[in-house]
Amino acid sequence: MNRIARVPTLAALAVIIAFLLWAHLASGIPVFRSEVPPEPGWDKFRARYGIDHFGEDGQFVRAVQNGYNLFFYTYKYAPRFTRKSAGDQSNSCGACHTAEDLAYSFVNSDRFDPTLGTRLSFDDRVRRCYAGSVDGFVPTVFDPAVRDIRLLARAVAHHLQLSEGALRRKED
Amino acid sequence: MPKLSAKLARIVLPVLALGGLYLLALHKHAQRQDIRGAAVVLTPGCSEKLGHYALVPGRQYESPYVLQRTGARITLRGYSEEDVRAIQRGCNIIDDTQGRLAADPWRERWNAKRFMRGSHASCDHCHRGIGDLQDAAGNRLIGSNSLAASWIGGDMYDRFTGMLLPYELRQMQCYINSSNGYKPNIADDVIRDVTAYSRFLSAALDLKIANHYEEQGIDEIPASATLKQGDDYIRGEALYKEKCQGCHGRGGMGLEVNGQLIAPAVAGPNAWNMQSRNNFYFVSTILSGFICRNMPPGQSNTLEHQECRDIAFYISNLPRPAGDRQGPLAAVQQQFLMAVIPPLLRLSAPGKAPPQPPLEHASSKTPRLVPLENGE
Repeated sequence: MNRIARVPTLAALAVIIAFLLWAHLASGIPVFRSEVPPEPGWDKFRARYGIDHFGEDGQFVRAVQNGYNLFFYTYKYAPRFTRKSAGDQSNSCGACHTAEDLAYSFVNSDRFDPTLGTRLSFDDRVRRCYAGSVDGFVPTVFDPAVRDIRLLARAVAHHLQLSEGALRRKED
Repeated sequence: MPKLSAKLARIVLPVLALGGLYLLALHKHAQRQDIRGAAVVLTPGCSEKLGHYALVPGRQYESPYVLQRTGARITLRGYSEEDVRAIQRGCNIIDDTQGRLAADPWRERWNAKRFMRGSHASCDHCHRGIGDLQDAAGNRLIGSNSLAASWIGGDMYDRFTGMLLPYELRQMQCYINSSNGYKPNIADDVIRDVTAYSRFLSAALDLKIANHYEEQGIDEIPASATLKQGDDYIRGEALYKEKCQGCHGRGGMGLEVNGQLIAPAVAGPNAWNMQSRNNFYFVSTILSGFICRNMPPGQSNTLEHQECRDIAFYISNLPRPAGDRQGPLAAVQQQFLMAVIPPLLRLSAPGKAPPQPPLEHASSKTPRLVPLENGE
């Protein structure tokens, strides 16, 4: 009797263990692992914008790399927040913006937007892009899909040695 | 029939309650919008600071500080009237968080006090010089907790929380621990205005994103920066009585005269809690660094490293509110001690000043640290 009663418990336990093993080893879903999959162009980007200034590896660098993936492969890394797919022409942030655009936008954020009649932070702008430009949904302000793009902007702004409110020169 | 009316009531009452809440939210939203559009009455400190940095609305901004220090004219994006008001409000919040100088703290400080339990704490107590401490010649000071440098260095790995800490979350931690209070929403004006002010300071000082600046954070004093005598409660108590008690009061309870705060509490219900980075048992190097760099007022950098650590050790042993990680038993214990000790202190003080140890007391015990040739 006791053995029969234990069967559902053991089955539930087995399902949980199987899910954990699948999630970590076989799912390929990036949220379950700390490493960020290298996408084409990352090494070049890393060298061009001196990301190694922040160390070869570490939380910040991994977040910047994730920001790179989000920025240039949005459809792949933020599928929850965009309806765009690999077949669409404008399916990433990088289709409209450059990394420099991002950095200048970062240092000029937290300003009043007369068209919206409110002050907008950089994170607000990113969230608006998810909802509008990539035809998707709004992430929370704490979501890595927002945070890591801000960190990418911060890393590029550091490389360009931008200060708060820096104006873009023509040669940039 | 009564059944029907009961059913109706069960539907109508919640709908009315929700509708009432919605109307209240609309009213509060309009009120906030109204405050955002209202002219800001600056504190004297902010008036001087923002005047010095020539903050006015305009299409472009040029910092007179940078011009004066480097001779370079750096043109940055200017600020709209809305941005200027946000910066002004942020400065006011840093300078006078509790709204003691405000005619209407709710309107002029977003009632920042609702996020604090005590009545003493103000951001400016730790972020001195309204978050941008300079000497008379305009040099920014090492380890002065600069808000500008802190914004510039935001989003980096924080060793205390183990996460990439955004500037806004850092402010929230200040409210929770250093002010022993509650966490504002990340989008609350009380947070966003302080961010606006910090960002403006970094523009006025021409700091570059993610560079490291000496004025960021505290110039910490680890045990290895002393002669390693060990931190001592008795020495700390004697030093506190000699050098600190005159302003911070017996038992570190702070000093208020006629409702005016002379010096904030460093212990007791109005002080930071046990989870604050100021608490010696959490981080032993920060409070000692702050004391050495800033205290006593007008005589900063005169205390020995060991003296600062002793004072910090003593202060941190005084009762203070428990933080969110200490658990209910520690919280009850601290509340009990905070209730019992002040009356005992009053009983033991027959209205005269406490005995003062001789001035040379501490320095005779702890010789000044000099660099050794072998680098120890």
